[in-house]
Amino acid sequence: MTLRVGIVGAGNMAATHAAGWNEAGDRVTHILATGSTRAGSLAADLGAELSDSYEELLAAVDVVDICSPTDTHLGYVEVAAASGVSVVCEKPLGRTAKEAQEAVAICEAAGVLLLVAHVVRFFPEYSVARDRVVAGELGDVATVRLDRSTYFPVGDGSWFGDHERSGGVVLDLMIHDVDYARWVAGDVERVYARRAEPTGSGGHVLATLRHRGGALSHVQGSWAFPEGSFRTSLEIAGSEGLLTLHASEPFSALVPESDDVSAVPQPPTTLAESPYVTQMKHFSAVLHGLADPIVSATDAAAAVEVCEAILQSIDTCQAVTLGGAS
Amino acid sequence: MRAGIFGVGHVHSESYVENLRAARGVEFVGAAETDRFMLADWTKRHHAFGYASDDELIAAGVDFGIVCSPTNAHLPTVERMAAAGVHVLCEKPLATNVDDAQRIVDVCAAAGVHLMTAFPMRFSPSLATGAEWIREGRIGEVLAITGTNRGHLPTGYAPWFADLKLAGGGAVMDHTVHLADVMRWWLGNEPDEVYAETNRILHPEVAVETGGLVTVGFESGVFATIDCSWSRPDNYPTWGGLEIEAVGTEGVFTVDAFAQRFDVWSNGQTSWVDWGSDTNQLMIDHFVGAVRGDHPVAVTGFDGLRATEVALAAYRSAERGQPVVV
Repeated sequence: MTLRVGIVGAGNMAATHAAGWNEAGDRVTHILATGSTRAGSLAADLGAELSDSYEELLAAVDVVDICSPTDTHLGYVEVAAASGVSVVCEKPLGRTAKEAQEAVAICEAAGVLLLVAHVVRFFPEYSVARDRVVAGELGDVATVRLDRSTYFPVGDGSWFGDHERSGGVVLDLMIHDVDYARWVAGDVERVYARRAEPTGSGGHVLATLRHRGGALSHVQGSWAFPEGSFRTSLEIAGSEGLLTLHASEPFSALVPESDDVSAVPQPPTTLAESPYVTQMKHFSAVLHGLADPIVSATDAAAAVEVCEAILQSIDTCQAVTLGGAS
Repeated sequence: MRAGIFGVGHVHSESYVENLRAARGVEFVGAAETDRFMLADWTKRHHAFGYASDDELIAAGVDFGIVCSPTNAHLPTVERMAAAGVHVLCEKPLATNVDDAQRIVDVCAAAGVHLMTAFPMRFSPSLATGAEWIREGRIGEVLAITGTNRGHLPTGYAPWFADLKLAGGGAVMDHTVHLADVMRWWLGNEPDEVYAETNRILHPEVAVETGGLVTVGFESGVFATIDCSWSRPDNYPTWGGLEIEAVGTEGVFTVDAFAQRFDVWSNGQTSWVDWGSDTNQLMIDHFVGAVRGDHPVAVTGFDGLRATEVALAAYRSAERGQPVVV
């Protein structure tokens, strides 16, 4: 059965997700993006209808894919759950830990699926590394180093710079690695972080996470790198071994610098299948009852909770101990 | 100019002896060591003279010496050397506590002998390029620095590295000071706050911390992290390494101080063979020049004291779970 997908939003992630749904064999039939200049062309490309209201969209689809600004996620989740429509939601699940936890509780009570797009779990270097950890090849995880450094989203992505809406570099970018750190090293007990915010950048953050099992994660998240750059790195050391990511891309070239910089940074990947497609195929399989979610809704809420603690540490200049996370 | 090695407990004595023999205008006299079995083994391997005590080596007539005993034994040796007018090049960290480190600085000053801390990274051409880039503002204003100085469990070289009394601690004591010194050198200002998390998941058989993440705040507002973990497995192709990256308002640069190497596969083993500049030789040649009166000492006892203070503050912070003032 082909799922009918309704997408909320018409920005960068909406287009990326839509391509993934197509590859998964599902169909984006409706788009809700009132006031967006890009909605018309995205709908035309997909052969989808532009919905006039959220209620109209929900009535016509099997699953809603929320790709709107972070602070609007909970509102869309609530109405979808009330209508019995399953939810895919771009990360972060909520602007605050409270919002994210509410989203989880509402979907659970309504009995609808809540799948959060922590796409890093679908990047093969990250999933294969985690497989090695689960297989016990590294022993007990002791130290993890994660880095995601790029430039500040520009143009259409201007809401990213509004801390009230996006939560800034911590909640929008660093959350990928916070989620991954939890995935390989478990719940987080304590965090400490520092942030630099030079004018015109989205900030540069270094965080130390202490996991309940004793492992330590060093997480760098930056929107202060030079325009056009996007760098990620990954290293896991354990009692029985060490895993380091070979940093070089399989294709490299030297050509004169181009001015063609995408508005919203995306990591470079040289893969037969984009991890965004892998992610949507997985979501499709879960929605068809063929797979269990790789990212649980509670994991998505826990990642927001850790990011909130990181922001609190930055603001108070103190280490922050987390409450009884699940 | 006559030179000796005071104590052979530190693995660096193995290379310093060759550096002293290669230094222009230096005659290597021999090594002093109170453990006669260690001394016999060392002198045999290096075809060198051995002296059963510091006093005997001093009596043999030396102009300067390199202190290579376990960290807690530095002070009494330095006191003897200073009293005899022997110039001191002291292995890092200077001491296991601030009082001893301060005393080392004071006795050398009072005796009018040169005191240099053995921070060979100050003589690394790649790190010197980093210092120059920062001085010239080539990445704008520095926002943050990340450094890693990871290594093998060093007890394979000498068990005292993991002895709380002799070394003053584990990985934090061993590997924080080099990067703390490079950061002070690059930034030209002092650390004023330290946060640290430590664990004992790697090599749980030793009684000191084997993993550590240290955050250092500087007076200027710049913050930095140091990963000092003993997280390179026994079969890692070399002892470890030192990497450091500076992020500024106008760019980013990364230094891998030991990148100049071959990967060599032979006899079923993989090893990294350095071909870059020998920083130990450059450091010793510099000290010889200072003793001769050609120039002042580039890395003073005060520098060694400040770096030691950062490592000791890290222990205080790890115990409290909050940042501490340096």
